[in-house]
Amino acid sequence: MKNSIIRNKNKLLIILFWILIWEVLSLIVNQEIYLPSPTSTFSALLNLLCEKETYITIFYSTYRTLTGFFISCATGIILGYICGINKFFYNLLNPLVVIIRTIPVMSIIIIAIMWFRDTNVPIFVAFLMCFPIIWTNTVTGIISTDIKILQMCRVYKIRKIRIIKSVYFYSALPYIKSAMISALGIGWKVTSAAEVLSLPKYSIGRFLYDSKVYLEIPSLFAWTIIIIFLSFIFENLLKVLFKGRVV
Amino acid sequence: MIKLINISKKYNDLELLRDFNISFERNKITCLFGPSGVGKTTIANIVAGIVPIDKGRIEGIENSLLSYVFQEPRLLNWYSVYDNLDFVLKDVYPSDKRVSIINNYLSMVELLEYKNFKIDALSGGMEQRVSLARAFAYPSDILIMDEPFKGLDYKLKQEMISLFKSMWQKSKRTVIFITHQVDEAIILSHTIYKLKNRPIDIVNKINVNNNIEEIKNLLLT
Repeated sequence: MKNSIIRNKNKLLIILFWILIWEVLSLIVNQEIYLPSPTSTFSALLNLLCEKETYITIFYSTYRTLTGFFISCATGIILGYICGINKFFYNLLNPLVVIIRTIPVMSIIIIAIMWFRDTNVPIFVAFLMCFPIIWTNTVTGIISTDIKILQMCRVYKIRKIRIIKSVYFYSALPYIKSAMISALGIGWKVTSAAEVLSLPKYSIGRFLYDSKVYLEIPSLFAWTIIIIFLSFIFENLLKVLFKGRVV
Repeated sequence: MIKLINISKKYNDLELLRDFNISFERNKITCLFGPSGVGKTTIANIVAGIVPIDKGRIEGIENSLLSYVFQEPRLLNWYSVYDNLDFVLKDVYPSDKRVSIINNYLSMVELLEYKNFKIDALSGGMEQRVSLARAFAYPSDILIMDEPFKGLDYKLKQEMISLFKSMWQKSKRTVIFITHQVDEAIILSHTIYKLKNRPIDIVNKINVNNNIEEIKNLLLT
């Protein structure tokens, strides 16, 4: 209890220290258009939090991020399992994943704008950016399965489907969990970027874009804080969810 | 009788076996004795089908079920003690029968009260007892034991040896037992093969009788 209070006190002091640095820098720059002060940013944030539209926007952006994230998890895990177990499928899919991983996000967003409706662009981009992380980690988890356990399964003539369910699944689980946590953070970043370019009606990206166009820089910073907060909350929710499970 | 006939096996350029022959009597305990690295595990793994052979043939294992007590327990850490046994028995027994079999063997190794414990919560000796229970609970015709008492302290080793003996008496099967410990070989085996390496060959085939001192001398020289 005492330790927890000290830890939280330390965290608060660290946050206050960086806000102070921010305040000092904004005083030095002395131009809200380049670097708004913490006071004006938090004031803008407070105004946003008092508006109903903010919550509708947060809901839709969250929906897009999570949809892209869950689709990438489902496909990444299933295809990761298949490719981890079967070398042929790994060789078949690996070049595609390497290409997806190296394509610049902006190229993907622009291509997606040509292909999809505005609201689906961020979902597609989030999926494409998260998928390689999930797939690669799942494959690594499967490949890292203890050969000695597999030998034991062979001796006891365990059916392949049960090896997949009871051995490969649990071996890959820690890898999948850490991949999901990383992918979710990236999901938030790329969804916002895709929203800025595709401009769906209710989206944080649209507000970021509008803030830039109308030079409402405190509002731009306020929306950025909202994204950071959402990303932090969902990442921690995932961690809590995983902590309650086996492995 | 299980027979390995004219077996040859190479690992890259290293010749492990050249026209090697050995036989294991049904429902008896046969010991492969020799120093570490001689290739005892390779022979056991050939019988188990883990290591493929380059040449030769194996007779007497067709349609046989096999269980294995490895040097390390090789248990599924994410499962409970009960589920580890259930995992290997699922394809061979219906569920109602499995419950009584698993409980029976866990009680034999004195781990019944630990049946819902995760493997991580057990000591090394307890894990090895789970591995032994798994091997006996499985309806195998052949049981391979690869230095199963390695790393156990003296008292625990004696307990495990007597446990194995009583389990084998209740459920006799062909046992291939690997060790480099003279006492284990003499106490547990009916026949001992003393091996040498490069390539692996049989130095002596010893039938264990009452002349313990003579057997000791044969194994140690």
